[in-house]
Amino acid sequence: MSFRSKLFSQKKIYNLEPTNELFLRAMKENCAFHYAHCEEYRKVLDGEGFSPEDLASFSDLAKLPFLPTLFFKKHHIYSLPNRRLSIKVTSSGTSGHFSRMGFAWSELWYALKMSLRVVSKRHLISLRPCNYIVFGYKPNRHNKTGVTKTAFITTLLAPARHRTYALKYHDGKYEPDLEGVIKAIEKYAKKKTPVRFMGFPSYTTFVMQMMEDRKAFVQLPKGSKIMLAGGWKQFYAEEVEKSVFYDLAKRVLGITDDNIVEFFGAVEHPILYCDCPHHHFHVPVYGRVLIRDVNTLEPVPNGTPGLVNLLTPLVKGTPLTSVMTDDLGILHDGSTCPCGQNSPYLEILGRVGLKDIKTCAAGAAEYLDKGGLK
Amino acid sequence: MILFNGTLFETKEQNRLLDELPSKLTDTLLHQTLDRENVIRAFDNISQRLAAGEFESLLQSVDPDSASLYMDQIVRMMSRDYLQKKTEIEFHGVRNDNEKIQTQEVPLGVIFHIAAGNMDVLPIASIGEGLLAGNINILKLPSVDRGLTIQALKMLVDAEPALKDFIYVFDTPSSDIAAMKKLADLSDGIAIWGGDEVVHAVRAFAKPGTRLIEWGHKLGFAYISGYENEETELTELAEHILMTRQLLCSSCQVIYIDTDKYDEALSFAGRFLPYLERAFEKHPIREIGGVAELTLRRYEERIEKHLHGDEASEDKRSRFQGQHTSVTVKKDPDLELSYMYGNVIVKPLPAKNLADVLRKSKGYLQTAGLICSPEKRDALTLQLTRCGVQRVTRAGHMSSLFEGEAHDGEFALARYSRFINIEN
Repeated sequence: MSFRSKLFSQKKIYNLEPTNELFLRAMKENCAFHYAHCEEYRKVLDGEGFSPEDLASFSDLAKLPFLPTLFFKKHHIYSLPNRRLSIKVTSSGTSGHFSRMGFAWSELWYALKMSLRVVSKRHLISLRPCNYIVFGYKPNRHNKTGVTKTAFITTLLAPARHRTYALKYHDGKYEPDLEGVIKAIEKYAKKKTPVRFMGFPSYTTFVMQMMEDRKAFVQLPKGSKIMLAGGWKQFYAEEVEKSVFYDLAKRVLGITDDNIVEFFGAVEHPILYCDCPHHHFHVPVYGRVLIRDVNTLEPVPNGTPGLVNLLTPLVKGTPLTSVMTDDLGILHDGSTCPCGQNSPYLEILGRVGLKDIKTCAAGAAEYLDKGGLK
Repeated sequence: MILFNGTLFETKEQNRLLDELPSKLTDTLLHQTLDRENVIRAFDNISQRLAAGEFESLLQSVDPDSASLYMDQIVRMMSRDYLQKKTEIEFHGVRNDNEKIQTQEVPLGVIFHIAAGNMDVLPIASIGEGLLAGNINILKLPSVDRGLTIQALKMLVDAEPALKDFIYVFDTPSSDIAAMKKLADLSDGIAIWGGDEVVHAVRAFAKPGTRLIEWGHKLGFAYISGYENEETELTELAEHILMTRQLLCSSCQVIYIDTDKYDEALSFAGRFLPYLERAFEKHPIREIGGVAELTLRRYEERIEKHLHGDEASEDKRSRFQGQHTSVTVKKDPDLELSYMYGNVIVKPLPAKNLADVLRKSKGYLQTAGLICSPEKRDALTLQLTRCGVQRVTRAGHMSSLFEGEAHDGEFALARYSRFINIEN
């Protein structure tokens, strides 16, 4: 039995400390696999003077060279031949660059087991049918983004009576149909079937604000839930506080905050994070989080903000062993959350950004991109 | 938020207000003249209140870093003395009356300012220049504006209601091309603060004949050829670098050393790092987002090099990493952007090669901070300006404000004006 298989068989999903040794071994196994099968990965490790054998103790994980998310946008790299990849998933690129990851059948199976364990913590698995409002893309054969797939998959947690999509594919592009969503909400509100919302927080907020402006308040059936995924990235500029979101949901839809569940995950790090009843993202045993200093890239102690580095031995298709996101975050001690989980929890603060600091700086950044005068 | 006719409106009123705008503008153009004295009085009023600490909490809430750093400059830029001197200098000598024909400076008309957000007061300064030349000003707020600009302009209009028909502020995002084009079509001139990408975008939707006033991005550098007082000069240069975070056009990106020896550049870098670290203590950088992005970018470049089998990246001796800042030595002489936020580049560049190197960057030259022995100053200054540099200052004053100085080699007020001729 591989170390990965053992790790993904762990049932106590927030039992971090006791699984550190197992996690290290699974990481070493995964790192060695990619080192042997992915030329690009090997070149990076060699260039950084690191060998999979250097992973001797848990603290060595911090020394493992990480790949930034941008790297996957520039290079589509795989450690398995095409025929052994079950699917290739595209990240929802906002800048015109897309990253593509390959996943083997085995990891899909592990991911499924992991996801079911994670979501069952928040009682999302039910046999009672639901009406779904999906604030995302309606799946079609042109869309391979991870968000589309996860959004669809989550509609299987409880049987779907009906699904309404906020983004519809029309004439080769996606268009939001928020009016259609509001009509559906009003229709569902008259029924007894619980309603589940799934998708980007920004659209969900937008729809609730539209309904509030029109004084179209509804009380959705008991058991209705809002599941949020796709990140709060769109929120950063608007700085909408989560508490504002929760208040709005209660006022407009009659959904209380304990029925709002948020997910966090990325194609580059396909570990499902689900918030606890206090809305904190505790780190599950299947991955680890390192926060790194914004100048030196050295790990910082819990409670200090820095760059979010995500580690997992889940994937063999693409070397996602240690991935550096574009996000800034803080890892808090688990003991500071009243929910009782000891696992530390991750708070995402926002995206790294020069983009928002304009003129000379941004101009200069463009300049840098173009290679300037070099 | 939108400021229209001295009143604040919600963003969602944008399209209705845009429909009303053309007739408002025409009406003002035909029937009102903006008295320069009113403009100066309004800004001077704000300057005095600012100096008295009235807006302290507002500024602190927006950007505590810049608020304290730039406060004196902002107060001075808005003062009566400064503005009067500016108009005297910038309009000096344009009248060339003779018996047959007279020349007058009149406002360009309507100016659309597409402002940038690297300095919080920049949009206000841009509007100020438009007003001094007597124009109606439409401002598109930078996407990162945190509310300071619109509040400050509202105060200005409240202090001097005569200005209300001459200031319009919209928070239209750049992506709303239809609205941007509409605003551009209503304007006689467009003042663009931004990089090449913004300039290209505006050129694409602006009608031919609309005057484009491009305040594009520039790169600043320091040139060192001996010292008057090494300790003081290097301290001031390091403080300039940390204080401006290397985000301004005038900020120092590269420090050139007058030598052809790489080892001399290395030895300078080693000596300069402690100056930067000390300057960081004095002007700490709290915007970790920008720092993080540049650190990531540097890491990515390193990783890419491994992939392409390039030399095991840079010469290990060439990078001097401090706790918060760094100095990197490079062999090539080209002027380039640093990683900013206290990460400066050092290059050897003997004076005899200055022209060849700087001419390659001619469109991007602005400020050179010159550190040299007194007897070399005149000759080096002449050499720099002949290569296309627009400002030569002491290294510690690269981003300082000098009364009556031009901007990127031009006088803004003249660009915001028309010089008309009328036969007697």
